[in-house]
Amino acid sequence: MDSATIQFIDLQYGNVLALLAIGFVGGLVSGFIGSGGAFVLTPAMMSMGVPGVVAVASNLCHKFPKALVGAHQRNKFGHVDVKLGLVMAASAAIGVWLGADIQHQIKGNFGEPGSNLYVSLAFVIVLAIVGGFVLHDAVTVYRSGKSDEQDRVSRLARWVQSVEIPGTMMHFRTANIRVSVLFTLPLGFATGLLASIIAVGGFVGVPGMMYVLGAPGLIATATELVIAFVMGFGGTIKYALHGLVDIRLALILLAGSLFGIQLGVIGTIYVKPFMIKVVMAAIMLIVAVSRGLVVPVYLTELGQLDIEPSTMAWLQMASFALLVLALCVGAIIIIAAMLLGHRAGAIRLKESAPE
Amino acid sequence: MEQSKPYPQLIASGIASGTLYFLLYFYEPEILAAFTRTDGWYPALPVVAAFAFSFAHGAFTAYFWEVLGVKGRRK
Repeated sequence: MDSATIQFIDLQYGNVLALLAIGFVGGLVSGFIGSGGAFVLTPAMMSMGVPGVVAVASNLCHKFPKALVGAHQRNKFGHVDVKLGLVMAASAAIGVWLGADIQHQIKGNFGEPGSNLYVSLAFVIVLAIVGGFVLHDAVTVYRSGKSDEQDRVSRLARWVQSVEIPGTMMHFRTANIRVSVLFTLPLGFATGLLASIIAVGGFVGVPGMMYVLGAPGLIATATELVIAFVMGFGGTIKYALHGLVDIRLALILLAGSLFGIQLGVIGTIYVKPFMIKVVMAAIMLIVAVSRGLVVPVYLTELGQLDIEPSTMAWLQMASFALLVLALCVGAIIIIAAMLLGHRAGAIRLKESAPE
Repeated sequence: MEQSKPYPQLIASGIASGTLYFLLYFYEPEILAAFTRTDGWYPALPVVAAFAFSFAHGAFTAYFWEVLGVKGRRK
């Protein structure tokens, strides 16, 4: 791509402050649930006039150092299963590659609105289903009155762990699971595929590691940072080769997000394990609604629906507002839970490995 | 026994991080031009910069919260 045709925006103080603030909140959520932020950061940059590809490239360039710092910090608490992260990242890379290909095809056949519709539908379907499932699980744990306990392994995960396929079994020490790679392969692939569509693979990766492989929530969310690092690093190289990374945006985001991620990591120690599920579910469901609001807009642009331009504009504004709200709600829950945990006077020493 | 707060480390990493960000601000046009070049080893610049900032600023932010008293118990 000819870099002379790319516009790199003139950075105003307002832009910088906004990026710092959104970066901070995104980092806070990432440190806590292993992913998140990208779906706000990229549209936020675009609303400042940053071209779409530059926004994606710059976000990726900020994502991998953020994930590195987050993973390093969470590793100190014994939450990271590096081996599991790398194994998942290997097939995630293939998922990203194929997903980018599909995006390209859809854009070629249906144009920008078609591509946007595809992305939004992916958001809505995946996040509504997974988010609903995680919320249901969190509510079940809360109602059982055993919210202090480590996550119980789901029936599906118990079955997955029981499957013995000679020559394909791998033991993951920190996650304390032994599963066939034939299960990690599609899971990693799906993570990468989703990352290439909505920029957040963790919304499939983390629940996948928890409910399919049976890894505890604390381990899954921390291990996701390893996957995020690999994908962000690879993606950055790909975009940098085309001169698309606006390093100013990436580093300003990093300035805020590193403060946030440190806090989010510490938060995982202060709060009950099931709170991770609550935050994940809350964010996923609000984002699902947010993206659902703009589906009619893209349908109209494709000539399938007829909506007033003023209504379309309102829907798009509401959608963006909800995205920001999703992240803020996540951040508020995390901080509130941390304050409650601190006030209770019990800074629990979390088990570094599950029982 | 109360561990002393890492003030020296906070200041050192703060200076490192602050210097890097000051350089980014001061040399913004040159940096943007160089970091978007696609020839030779220039594409490696964003990656190298990201790592450099993550070490300096990552350390600073960690010490920042620790000095404020926000920290968890380590393994």
